[in-house]
Formats: sequence, C-alpha cells, structure tokens
Amino acid sequence: MASTVRRAAILGGNRIPFARTNGPYARASNQDMLTATLDGLVARFGLQGERVGEVAAGAVLKHSRDYNLTREAVLGSALSPWTPAYDVQQACGTGLETAILVANKIALRQLESGVAAGVDSASDAPIAVGEDLRQVLLELNRARSPKARLAALARLRPSALRPEIPRNGEPRTGLSMGEHAASTAVQWQISREAQDELTMASHRHLAAAYDSGFFDELVTPYLGLSRDQNLRPDSSMESLARLKPVFGTRLGDGTQATMTAGNSTPLSDGASAVLLASADWAAQHNLPVQAYLVDAETAAVDYVHGEEGLLMAPAYAVPRLLARNGLALQDFDFYEIHEAFASTVLATLAAWEDPEFCKQRLGLDGPLGAIDRDRLNVNGSSLAAGHPFAATGGRIVATLARLLKEKGSGRGLISICAAGGQGVVAILEAA
Amino acid sequence: MDVDRLADYSRVCGYRLGSTLPPTYPHVLAFPQQLALMTDPAFPFGTAGLVHIGNALTVHRPLPVDRSLALTVSVGPVSAHHRGAQVELVTEVRQDDTIAWESTSTYLSRGASAPGGATVAGKEPVDGPTPPPMPTATWRVPADIGRRYAKVSGDFNPIHLHPLTARAFGFPGAIAHGMWVKAHALAALEGRLPESYRVDVAFRKPLTIPGTVRFSAVAADRGWDLGVWPGSGERAHLLGTVRPT
Amino acid sequence: MSDRYRDLTLSPVGRRVTKTLGLPRPAVLRRYTPGEPLLPGPALLASSGGALGEVLARTLDAAGVELHAADDGTREFAALVFDATGVESVADLAELHATLSPALRHLGPSGRLLVLSRPAGTATSAAVGAARQALDGLVRSLAKELRAGGTANLVTVEEGAEQALESTLRFFLSGRSAFVSGQVVAVTTADRDRAAAPEDWDRPLTGRVAVVTGAAQGIGAAIASCLSRDGAHVVCADLPAQGERLAGVANQVGGTALQVDITSDRAAQRISEHAVGRHGRLDIVVHNAGITRDRLFANMDDATWRSVLAVNLDAQLRINAGLLDEHILGADSRIIAASSTSGIAGNRGQANYAASKAGIIGMVRTSAPDLAGVGGTINAVAPGFIETEMTAAMPFAVREVARRINSLKQGGLPVDVAETICWLSQAASGGLNGQVVRVCGQNLVGA
Repeated sequence: MASTVRRAAILGGNRIPFARTNGPYARASNQDMLTATLDGLVARFGLQGERVGEVAAGAVLKHSRDYNLTREAVLGSALSPWTPAYDVQQACGTGLETAILVANKIALRQLESGVAAGVDSASDAPIAVGEDLRQVLLELNRARSPKARLAALARLRPSALRPEIPRNGEPRTGLSMGEHAASTAVQWQISREAQDELTMASHRHLAAAYDSGFFDELVTPYLGLSRDQNLRPDSSMESLARLKPVFGTRLGDGTQATMTAGNSTPLSDGASAVLLASADWAAQHNLPVQAYLVDAETAAVDYVHGEEGLLMAPAYAVPRLLARNGLALQDFDFYEIHEAFASTVLATLAAWEDPEFCKQRLGLDGPLGAIDRDRLNVNGSSLAAGHPFAATGGRIVATLARLLKEKGSGRGLISICAAGGQGVVAILEAA
Repeated sequence: MDVDRLADYSRVCGYRLGSTLPPTYPHVLAFPQQLALMTDPAFPFGTAGLVHIGNALTVHRPLPVDRSLALTVSVGPVSAHHRGAQVELVTEVRQDDTIAWESTSTYLSRGASAPGGATVAGKEPVDGPTPPPMPTATWRVPADIGRRYAKVSGDFNPIHLHPLTARAFGFPGAIAHGMWVKAHALAALEGRLPESYRVDVAFRKPLTIPGTVRFSAVAADRGWDLGVWPGSGERAHLLGTVRPT
Repeated sequence: MSDRYRDLTLSPVGRRVTKTLGLPRPAVLRRYTPGEPLLPGPALLASSGGALGEVLARTLDAAGVELHAADDGTREFAALVFDATGVESVADLAELHATLSPALRHLGPSGRLLVLSRPAGTATSAAVGAARQALDGLVRSLAKELRAGGTANLVTVEEGAEQALESTLRFFLSGRSAFVSGQVVAVTTADRDRAAAPEDWDRPLTGRVAVVTGAAQGIGAAIASCLSRDGAHVVCADLPAQGERLAGVANQVGGTALQVDITSDRAAQRISEHAVGRHGRLDIVVHNAGITRDRLFANMDDATWRSVLAVNLDAQLRINAGLLDEHILGADSRIIAASSTSGIAGNRGQANYAASKAGIIGMVRTSAPDLAGVGGTINAVAPGFIETEMTAAMPFAVREVARRINSLKQGGLPVDVAETICWLSQAASGGLNGQVVRVCGQNLVGA
C-alpha cells in the first residue's frame, strides 16, 4: 500500500437548476435528475465512456426500490457502465459527505478520480403504507392457505389505508426542522430583520452571480428551467417583511415568531455533482484543478434532551476542524454556510462570537470571533437557490471551488447542518 | 409537450425523463391519427383481428422535449403475406421541416388476400438465433401492464386489457402491447444508443401477461441485436435489431 | 428524405405530373460517407495545354480514381476535370468547348464538373485576362445546365500553389460538396508549405481542437458532428440556456460542452481557457451562432438592430481579436465564419441580418493577412436555403419558392454546410484564405 497521503483536487461540478417542489420537476424522479446531472458533468468535462474511479451519491427522500440509485443512474448516463457507484445518506449532509468520501479515497490513493453527487425530490417523494396496513400485507405474504389469507385481510380497517407521507420532522421530538430552528432563534435572539437581511442578500448575490455568468460552468438547464426557480432577484426588505411567520408561532406569546416562508428554505427538487481527482489524473486529462479539499469534520449534538439546538452541530464541528489545521475562524476568504434557515446561519455566527458558548460548550479559551460578513455566501446560498437536501453539498462544493479558482488563491470554509442534530464541515484551498 | 403524459409514458415503459423524447414516444402521439386511418372505410382491412407484426422506426436525430413537432400518418400499399395480406402504416415526424423520426408499422390481416392476387411477400422479417442467446435480463411483466400501457398510449385494444376480453378474440389470456415490449427493450439500452439509428423489430409469439420473459441484447455492427423470449421455449416474442444510420 | 415535393416527383405518378407541368424535378444528391471511394465511377481528365496535368493525374490516381484521358462515348463519367490553366485566348476556349461539350452528355448523376484555371487577375495581357474570366461565366452557366444533382465549380490555382490543391480537389469531387455549385474558389500560394496532406483523408482533422458556437442545434450540431467524424476534438459552445441540448450534442460527438454567451466581454477568454486549458491548443474556430430579428428597416427599433449585429458580427470580431491578441491561434489555425446569401444579395425585412452577414464577408477579407501572418486562414461560408428551424419558420409559399430557386431545385441540409466547413478546417486547406464559399446549390439570390 502506498504510504503518502496526497490532496484531492476538485475539478468542477454540474447541477441542474433547483426547482420548487411540485414545479417543473414534479414528474422527475431522483434517478431522472441524477442521470441528467451526470450527463451534464460528462459533457462539460468530456468524460464520455470514461470509467471514473467511483460515483458516490445519495438522496434523503428515497424510494425503497432505489436501493442502488446511484449505480442505476450511472448505468443510464454517458459515463462508462464499468464505473462503480454506491449510495450514501447523511440527511442534508449527504452531498458534502459524498465529496469527503471520494476525496479521502483519492487522498489514500485508492482512487484516481471520482464523482460525488446528491439528488432530492420533494415532489416525487416516497409514500409508505401505514404501519397497520404494512403488518397486514406482510402477514398476507406469509399466509400459506386461503383461510390464513382471509384471516389476515379480516384485520384490515379502512383507516389503515391512509398513506404515510414523509414528514420534514425529527422522529424523536416530533418537531419539524423549522420548529427546532425557531426555538434556537429565540434562544440566540435572532431578529426578524437580521434574518430578512440575510435572505435578501442571498437572493441578490445569487441573481448577480447568474448575471455575471458565474454559473455558466456550473449549471445545465433541465426540463426547460435554466435558473433556480426560487430565485427572486427583486427581493426587498419590504416584500420580505410582509410575510407572516410560519415557524415558532407557538413559542411563548407568539411575538417571538420570526421565521417566514421567505427566510426559510422551501422544499425543492434538484441534483448536483462534483468531479474530484488526483492532481495526476487531472493533468493527464488536461483538466485544470480548481481547488483542493483539504480537510473535513463532522459533529453531532444532543438535541433530543434539550442540550443543544437541532441545527447547531456545525458550531461544534468547525472549531475542531480549525484546531486540527492550526487556523483561526478569520483565516478564510470565503464562508459557505448552508442557509437551511436564515436564523440557523445567524445563530451559528452568534455562537462563535459568544465567549460563554465558546468557553463552556466548545472548551475554548475565548470566542472564535466574528467573520467578515462580506465573505459570507458571496454568490448566494440555499435561501435563494432552494435546498434539495442531498444536492446542497455538491452545489456548495462546486460553487466554492469556482470562487477560489477565480480568486486564484485563498481558502474557503463550508458548513452544512443536517437533520438528526448533525453537521458536516470542510476546508477548500485554491489550487 | 405534455410533460405529465410524457412522464407517465416513461414510467410505464422504463425510460428516464430527460431533455429528449423516448424513441418510441412519437408512436403514441400519432396513435389517434393511426386509429382514424385504420377505422376509415377506405382502409383495406377491418381493424378486428388485425395483428401488429412488425415495426421499424428511425431516429434521425434526438427530438427535444421543448419543441413542437409535425406528425403525418399515411397508409402504404397492401401486399401479400404467407398468412394473409399485410399493410404498412407510415408515421413521420418533422422538425425544422425535415424528417426527424419515422416509423413503419406492419399489420397482418390473417386470411385476407392482397389485391391483384399479388404473390406472397416472402420471408419473415427478422430471424432469431436458435437457441436464444444468454439472457441479459429477466422481465417480470405484470398483469396490469396492458391496462397501464393502454392508458398512456390510448391503445385500448381489448386483447391487452383483460384475460376475458382477450379470450373473446381467441387469445389464451391478455397480451402485452407489441410497442410496449419494443419500448421496454429500448429503455434497457438507455445511454447506449447511437446518435441516429434504426430499430427494426418483428413481433412474433404474443406475450401473455402476467409473464416472466427473457430479454437479450447483444452488441452487433455498432448497434444491437435484440430479442425477447419466453421463460422457457425458443419461440421469441420479439426479435429485432438496432443499427446506426 | 427531407423533402416531400422531391419524394413526390420520384414516384411514377409524380414524375409524369411534374414532367407534364414542366415542374422542377429535384434529384437525390450524392453525399459523403466515410470510407467510400472519392467517386462512384471513372473521371475524365482533360486539358488544353494546361500545367496541372501531372499533379492532377498523380493526385487523382493516388485517391483511387479511375482516370481517362479521352471520352470515347462508351462510358458514363462521375466527374469531368478540365485543366484550363493553359487557356489564354478565344481559340483556347473553342478547344475547351470541343472537349467538354460532348463529354457533358456522359456525366452521371450527381456528376462533378471541375474546371481549373489561373486567376484572371494575374493575367499579363487583355486577351489572357479575358479568356480566364470567360471561364467564370462558362462554369456558372454549366452549373445551371447540369441535371440530376450535378455540380460545376471553378478553382483558380495560383502559380506555385499546385501542392496546396489536393484538399480542394477532393472536396469538389466527393459527396462532401453536394450542395456547392457554381462557385469560384482560389487556391493561392499563401500557405502552401503548410498545406500538408493528412495521414488519412477520411480523418483529416485528427488531433485538432475545434470550437463551434451555436452548437446546441441545427447547423451547429451538424458541424460539431462532422468535425468529430473527421477526427477533431470539438468544444461545443452555446448559450447557457441551451445547456441541456448542448450537453446532449457534446455527449453524442464525444466533445465537451461550453456554456458561454458569445456577446460577453469574456467570451474569447472563456473559449481559449476551455480549449487550451483542456486540450492544450485551439486550431479551428467555427463562428456559427447567429440570430434573426426580421422587421422592415423603417419599423426596426434600436434593440432589434443592435441585437442581431451584436451576436452575428460584433461577437465574432471581438472573439477573433481576443484570440489573435493572446496568440491562441497559431500555425494551421482556421477561422470559419458563417455568412449568408442574404449578406451577399440583401433580403427584404432582414436589413439587420444582411448587414451583419455582409459584415462577416468584410471581416474575413480584411483579416486574411492577419491570419496568414500566424500561418492560419480565415474564410466564410454563405449558406443559401438550408432546411433548419430558421427556414421552417418561413411562410409555406415563400419557403417553397426559396427552396426551389437554385440549380439543384432543393434546399440543402445542415450537413452540407458542415462538410464545407470541415474542408476549410483542414490543415491541407492552407491555400484558401479570405474567401467566401456559398453553400446554396447556386441559388439565384446572391449569385
């Protein structure tokens, strides 16, 4: 086995524009979108018939029949059918986690090239039968005689026929992600105005990036959509202020409810992919390296018993990552903090600025401090683009790699919160 | 383009929903026109008992989903077949005023005779290998595929819908639409089809549903040799070729 | 295959009807398939004391053409090649007439008449200049007289440019030139040292890197496919909004997709970064992207005028300047720009489009010395009626007329434009610079 570890290069990415749920991609399955995204990546990098080392991808909302979703998509794509693939699932961290997995294998010389991807459809969501009906059906399947089958069927009640649609909620708390985030927002006293400002910035930055052609080499249109459907370039504080709060309305007297449909991400459909490789492979294929994935960290918090907010895990992952790399929070040229909710980003930043949190929770001597907000999500993030869960990581990695390439130097931090009280964070450096 | 309908069709046949139409899709778009022609008094045969015995379609170039297309359906000459007489139904799709897609379906009217006592139009269109090649896939064809394909194609021929209606027409049970079998076979070649190509298939032994069948695709001449055989037995349901043009 | 009217005329009934009514009967044109012989039959190689006899005989023989020096009336020829470099007087023209006139009757379907002469402009006396220029009118007339898909073209060969002739000779004799007729093409010495023959004439672009703008559909997709077939690596460029179809084209031709707005300031940089960054070089630039915004000039607003000129002309000027300034284009580089017969003849309601396409011709002629300076060439193709979505949008009657008013009585196909571009793209075509080749079946418009 080779002994030295090397850096994994990010060569670029591709995604389809993100659509709002039940929008233009309402009839597209995860496999449809992932295949189209891989084909766009193949076209951009001339990988027709190429056997890349592996394709790692995943979806959060997944049909049981899609147990081999990624491999199926590879088989239908223009990549070589001899390309291995596997599925990964770590809630909203899936997209970044696949990039870390592929990068680590490249670093360890187990791979020369790989594609990390993610896809999600909230429109074509799997619908499960209720638990009662499921038990009846299983028993029916086990039954050997007509009599046994009748007996099984006799237990069926009309109420059992109600389907179970997957909910955006935590199994252990019964609260939706938005409700969790709302209580964190109250805890950190995140104002409505601050959330709306972040939202407006996200829309304006994303629109400007599209207008400047930044996404020409990152996005391939799909089913007639050529920009993210959720994007509202004309978002204003006034229009955002008119929206009624949708989360946290039952907290306290209700006056603390600040989270609206504007400053929360909508349910979305979409897919993204990132091409990673060793520097050697990139050179052999004449593909310029855009950035290197330097290091990554994941963390989880105990949100169940009230010790920490559901989406606060990145606040813990980042200091560990910084310490390992001997960096300060201020040593970055770009910060890509996934905007699950505007309040999540703001609560995370507030926590890092808070001496007590940093001392007691993170075990640091002092606060991590503030970041230069002009370096935060400079080309927009999930509030404007939308958030097809597993596709967000790939969107961010490819966006940041391109930002670093355009700048020609520097370092970027990625922070993504995920369901289950988890966080996935990573550092990218310019080539 | 009606994306809902396209998505339904793609699901039933096994295609991906992408930027170009599945190669067999124009066939269902043209079905109302085809039906109108075949039920016209001037059509040489009655529709009852007419058997779809072959289809050759050519994709001259990919058909983008977001573009309109012009369909033309016409009836070709009647010729003799050793089991009766056959007639061709020709469907053309034009985009940019050139033919982008065309298809010829051959229908057999058993026991009918061609006008002018024309001689028997020789051989069966494609002959398959015996024994059949190693299967590439096993298809479990569900009992409702006839009804589901009928819904997305508009072809509600009773022989496909239910065993009882099929028996009324002398079949042992409901049979799958030939064009579904063809579509499903092409869907299996997703991502592995040339830029422009011709797919020529003969529908042989009816595929009774539900059924488990063997599908085989063997690379040949920069294209594929296709076949669908029953779970056991050597009389194929479908034999065909895909060749670049 | 593309044309219902033509299909009708090929049927027995249709043939009788069209004959009775005196309607045109378009032929099925011979088009190129890789691997097939250059000509489907023998060629007559005749001369009136010309200087090219040896080089023509050697080249055609090496290309596997069965050559005959005389027409004994017993066989059908696939091509008539007449070396008229020795034609210097009215008497010489009579000699040419004596040879070609009877031979023309023995030219087979999709036959080729190719006349080679010296350029009239280099004549040293009025008599010589007159005789050479006479060939121009002769060939254009014969192009109109030929039937069954036959074409006639004139190639002028500068003294010393004989070695740069082969790619042009092969183009005009092969099915690649199916829709090019009544044209005069000049082979000059400008770059004869570089006009090296490819190792394989069926893959003359092997190892070359090309970029095609507007590659997502129609003629652009056909150009990408043709360049790829001839061995080039193709960067398929189009607007970001066309990305989905562009990806499909790139994946089919085994090239790469580049989403770029050619009117943006960074277009040249994006193109060179992609081509040079990925493939180490850029050899061939095909400016195919173009738009129409038809309106009578008196009713045309500023935006309508500007948008057409910006895409069709200004973008090409800026990209060329950018690529030349950055020394991206070097030896054997080729720029091929899409002009149009509308740019030559003008077209009612298309003042903006015609102006942009005429501008292309000016650009090509003026830039030729600049390209020659780096060992490259720049040429334009001017398509006539080509069956595309632009022409499909025309009213039926207008379209039918437009389609038929050329010597081949039919519209061309996107592949005909693509083949012409591929010929001009070859390293072996270094003797062609600053020219405009019409791909129009000798359309009456702009003749």
